Amino acid sequence: MRRNSMKADHTEPLRIICLVKFVPDVDGFSYDYEHSRLNRSYQRMILNPDDACAVAFALQVKQAHPSAHIEVVTMAPRTVEPHLLDLLRLQIDTGVLITDPAFAGSDTYATTTVLETYLGGRSYDCILTGTCTLDGATSQVPAQLAQSLGLDHMQDITGIDLNSFDREQAVFTVEDDNDTYTYQMALPGILSLTRASGYKLPYIAYEDFTKDVSANLTVVTNQELRCPPEQIGLTGSLTQVVETFVPEHQRREHRTVQVDEDGIEYIYTMLKERGYV
Amino acid sequence: MCDKNQVLVIQDTDRLENSRNILSLVQGMYEADSYHVTLLALESEIDSVCGYFHRIVTIPDTVYETMNIAGICEVVEYLQRQHHYSSILIPATRVGRMLAPRIARRLHTGLVADVTDVKKTEHALVMLRTAYAGNIMAGIRSVGEGPVMMSVHPDSFSYELEPQVHTTIHPYEKSIASHSSLTLLQKRAKPVTGDIRNSDVLISGGGGMKRHFPLVQQLAETLGGAAAASRKLVDHGVAPRSIQVGQSGKLVRSRLYFALGINGAIQHVEGLKGVETIIAVNTSAKAPICSIADIVVEGDAKEFIEKLLARIQNTQDTQIGES
Repeated sequence: MRRNSMKADHTEPLRIICLVKFVPDVDGFSYDYEHSRLNRSYQRMILNPDDACAVAFALQVKQAHPSAHIEVVTMAPRTVEPHLLDLLRLQIDTGVLITDPAFAGSDTYATTTVLETYLGGRSYDCILTGTCTLDGATSQVPAQLAQSLGLDHMQDITGIDLNSFDREQAVFTVEDDNDTYTYQMALPGILSLTRASGYKLPYIAYEDFTKDVSANLTVVTNQELRCPPEQIGLTGSLTQVVETFVPEHQRREHRTVQVDEDGIEYIYTMLKERGYV
Repeated sequence: MCDKNQVLVIQDTDRLENSRNILSLVQGMYEADSYHVTLLALESEIDSVCGYFHRIVTIPDTVYETMNIAGICEVVEYLQRQHHYSSILIPATRVGRMLAPRIARRLHTGLVADVTDVKKTEHALVMLRTAYAGNIMAGIRSVGEGPVMMSVHPDSFSYELEPQVHTTIHPYEKSIASHSSLTLLQKRAKPVTGDIRNSDVLISGGGGMKRHFPLVQQLAETLGGAAAASRKLVDHGVAPRSIQVGQSGKLVRSRLYFALGINGAIQHVEGLKGVETIIAVNTSAKAPICSIADIVVEGDAKEFIEKLLARIQNTQDTQIGES
């Protein structure tokens, strides 16, 4: 494995980088069947829920090890800056907004190229991310970063043992439909959490609502990263969306009943006739 | 053999039959007899796939047991250099979702995740998947020079043909240099809850039942079925992902499906294509789910369950009284 990521020095505090994404709140989406279009007018941006769990765990580490340093990194348009500043009001040490018009349209491959370039110059013990994003749900970027940075990676993590989490290793649980697995992994590495972990971000303290944290925010553009233009944005993307559409579904003739005596009796009779009750 | 399109399929170690089902996708990608399919499989698990794939390359089980994802990537990269696959297909399982992006990165090729269908156009193969949290479908093509790569939704394809090809088996003989620092400390089986894909009756709750999911479970128990949930309930932490219905979860084929307080996002509706009878209970008869339902119950889902449970209980009490 290629290891071009940098392990933090032993004399330095534990360093965690949380990679996060701000995503449209998909609960605000609805489809306008009459005009065949996605209605996103009520869309607002939120911190991706899986990523929020990653930041929440990092804050628990900081509570246990006050010298720990947490950096939150996001690649996004500048419009997410207020959201990032809110995160910085939660005792996050630094925030990094990677933004440049040249990055627009990047697919997961090109996004990885940008993030790899930034992270390649950083020192860290652990990169924490979410497993899935609400909007894309592809789970690709953390795994691709692991490949590029020469790190081990695990996703679908439902819990990390705080007591054994240090610069050298992490012990964590992963679940699938049938089993729960406990793994140990050497650090540096990438750990991707899921919402099932239940780690929750604290609320911003009342006195910090208007705290000026802008000095803790760094904006990084391609002027600093110097990613070759042909490797980023639409040009650097290796996949291309060629169409979006709503599939035709076979509409069924149906009977409509109400939640009243007649309606309940109708359903009950149907269930009885078919042997379900 | 060399003139044919070379295809590599990575074995689904969770459900072996899914490895075969991917062949149905391959049939949709190429003309008959124009392709040659290789399966990358574990040594111990090739019996059930012989006769389906032209070639099986086996790797030691320990590679998976130690979660040596980088090691599998190394094997695939080597095979790609040898055989120049035109496409690489990976089941979108827990391991597959970690593996596919790493292989794509290593091969410098684009990857489309969770593909549920493909279609051929004059110039390219278009891979279909849901987008915007399952609210819309997207057709995506690969534009790089590398092989077409996709992770495949595990339930989207079904291959029914009998074994019909001569399979040659080739153990991977090179040593695998990549290692993983992962150590499995413990594996515990979860309590057996059953797979919703095997249930004849599914009682499924959506956003409208966010605060009342135990009622959904109670109705499921009463009707001898299984409880299921929409993505929204899972996202809110109300239900486990293992019972999520839809393209973001599991595609189901039950005989009876109650959609309780489910609006009907496209990815959810797509997951119900194999269902026989759908009963939708919703405060709005114009909710998308209602257009594919056989019976629409217009009203509050919680009230509906309570009244239906009372009706069933009433009959049971009467029967007990008579006996």
